[in-house]
Amino acid sequence: MSLWLCLRFEQLPLQALRPDTQGCEGQLLPVVVLEKQRVVRACDQAAALGVRPDMGTATVRALAEDVRLLERDPQQEQNCLQQLCCWAYSITPTLYSWRQDCLLLEIGGCLNLFRGLQPLLDRIDTDLSLRGFSYCQGLAPTPKAAWLLSHRDDDNQQDPLEQRLAPLPLKLLDDFPRQTDALAKAGLWQFGDILDLSQQALGRRCGKAFTLFMQQVLGTHYDERPDFQPPQTFSDHYWFGYEVKANQELLPAMQMLLQSLCQFLRNAQLQCQQLEWQLFGIQRQMSRLQVRCSSSQADWQEWYRLTELKIEQLQLKTGVEGLALHCESLSAGHYNSDDLFNNHGQHEPLHSLLDRLHNRLGLQAVHKIACRDEHLPEYASYSSYQVAQASSLTKETTQRRPFWLMPAPQPLGQQRQQLNWNGPLQLLAGPERIEDNWWMEAISRDYYIAQNPAGQLYWVYRDRLEKQWFIQGVFA
Amino acid sequence: MNTAINNALSSNAAAHHPAITQVIRRQDTWLGRDSTSTPQAKEYGLSSGFSSLDRELYGQGWPTGNTIELLSDGGGLGAMGLFLPAMEKLSQQGRWQIFIAPPYMPYAPLLEARGIDSGQILLVHPQNRQDLLWSIEQALRSGTCSSVFAWLGNDNYRYSELRKLQLAAANSDVLSVLFRTRQAGKQHSPAALRMEMKEYRRVHILKQRGGNQYIDVDLSSDEDTPGQPQLWELPAYPEGDACATPALSA
Repeated sequence: MSLWLCLRFEQLPLQALRPDTQGCEGQLLPVVVLEKQRVVRACDQAAALGVRPDMGTATVRALAEDVRLLERDPQQEQNCLQQLCCWAYSITPTLYSWRQDCLLLEIGGCLNLFRGLQPLLDRIDTDLSLRGFSYCQGLAPTPKAAWLLSHRDDDNQQDPLEQRLAPLPLKLLDDFPRQTDALAKAGLWQFGDILDLSQQALGRRCGKAFTLFMQQVLGTHYDERPDFQPPQTFSDHYWFGYEVKANQELLPAMQMLLQSLCQFLRNAQLQCQQLEWQLFGIQRQMSRLQVRCSSSQADWQEWYRLTELKIEQLQLKTGVEGLALHCESLSAGHYNSDDLFNNHGQHEPLHSLLDRLHNRLGLQAVHKIACRDEHLPEYASYSSYQVAQASSLTKETTQRRPFWLMPAPQPLGQQRQQLNWNGPLQLLAGPERIEDNWWMEAISRDYYIAQNPAGQLYWVYRDRLEKQWFIQGVFA
Repeated sequence: MNTAINNALSSNAAAHHPAITQVIRRQDTWLGRDSTSTPQAKEYGLSSGFSSLDRELYGQGWPTGNTIELLSDGGGLGAMGLFLPAMEKLSQQGRWQIFIAPPYMPYAPLLEARGIDSGQILLVHPQNRQDLLWSIEQALRSGTCSSVFAWLGNDNYRYSELRKLQLAAANSDVLSVLFRTRQAGKQHSPAALRMEMKEYRRVHILKQRGGNQYIDVDLSSDEDTPGQPQLWELPAYPEGDACATPALSA
């Protein structure tokens, strides 16, 4: 049997704006959201002062002196609702948002997963209060009935649906103002009054749309809507509500956001390689922080460790009031398994060390090396922070080559007809001629092995065209 | 614990008592007497590829899970060549072989020719001493490296800093080598093995936990695998004639 849960965010116009309610002396200021100069929502403080919906600006100012008046932002509300959908997607795949301020979730199919209704409702309550949303909930076999019942505080689920709906006022149906007015004139105020009427009689009075709605409420007509589809990018934020000055204090919120990211990734079977933190200062100025990982990850602990490294180095210029986490390039998830038999005490995948080094030292500080099929030594071996997949070299190198190659050949000094590099050099073996690059800038070198007085061997060459000696390698 | 050890010793079954064996197995336990006879000694050595050296090393090879200090100046006369055979063996494990603050760039074709997968080599260039120590410790602890080579440079390091690295290496099977200047030989160090190389094919063991000290070991060329490029040998191609007359007047 399907069971629908309606989460109605009555204060969404207010909560979506995240107003700064702190007064200068620490007390909470009244906040009111306006639309076309009329009150849409008022916070508890304002309501206590007597501010009610639909009041004009002047009246509000008269009632509350230091009131903050905010303009309603429907786009922001939609964003909030979208994020709430992403969050709710971890509970059930069958859900959609409705009427600008509601989420409708089919939870009949996932009660076993959460071990019963109450644990699920508890979890929803914890999650939403962490996110700073207040809500009303309604449970019913149909989505529309769930929405209606979210207006009732003293709902007993054991009763039959008609009985639970009966005391609700018809005024709630603000999509049908003409019909409810007509019914009110006839003395029908509550659902109980019209549920007793016959369907045909109601249909004649109120029209097809209204009866269809009532049938959907009662479940006699199927209410079909497209389900929410999770987006292909992730973004979420957290507002502290106060100023954070120490880096360490950011971490718990980051942990929470990462968990929600990884929950999202797991739900959507995706992985990401890079994420971006945005830190909002008190004047809404923003600083960015990017964390990269060499392989796709969906494990929040790994991301948390990497973020920690970045946070250690971060120097906050101003206090931080909010955090946002964005993740744009998501790829389909794939999971690797560890080697069961031969893991040499290895507890983590190879790339995790690389990622830690990258994130603390920077991308450029860690290089890989690779071979190229080239004649000139400086081209045959290269090191870079980004190495393409190494090509397998078939050429057999049995000639003598040094272990160390200098980044660039260094010109050698000469003293009294003798080469000098930390002492006089004596040539022991050679030459070996290496020529290349004749089609561009021809290069022709004679390579020798030279020894200094301490016995150290070097790889030196004489450029035959420039007639100049260079040192290029060290045998060590 | 003390009574357990006493009991075990008195019953002359020290090596078989579980508590004692556990203590002996710890790689940072110092065994006073000549312990090449104890079976544990043979367990953890990673063959160096030079039999004369293996014979002198406690554990018949490089003490993995410990730090090894190699003291040398300048380019470090053959210091890397000493570890090439071990690197080749470790290459089969498929884990990283990491070079932290290397003086130059390793020549990839040489590594490939010596059977070392150059794709496993990571070069890390830390900007400061703090990052250097941090990188070494991370590499030692992570378990994703089969060998860690770090160049500590000219700086002086406190005993506690080196001890931290030694502890990071313990409980792992990493071949961890710290390259330091010869000057550092005068300072106290927690490394299990300290060596000095003054010339090719001759290693001087300065300190060895549980093994012989102050000895010179000659590395014979007989064990070089033919067909592989060698670091220490002069090439087979004719020398002398060609070499004597390079046009020095540039």
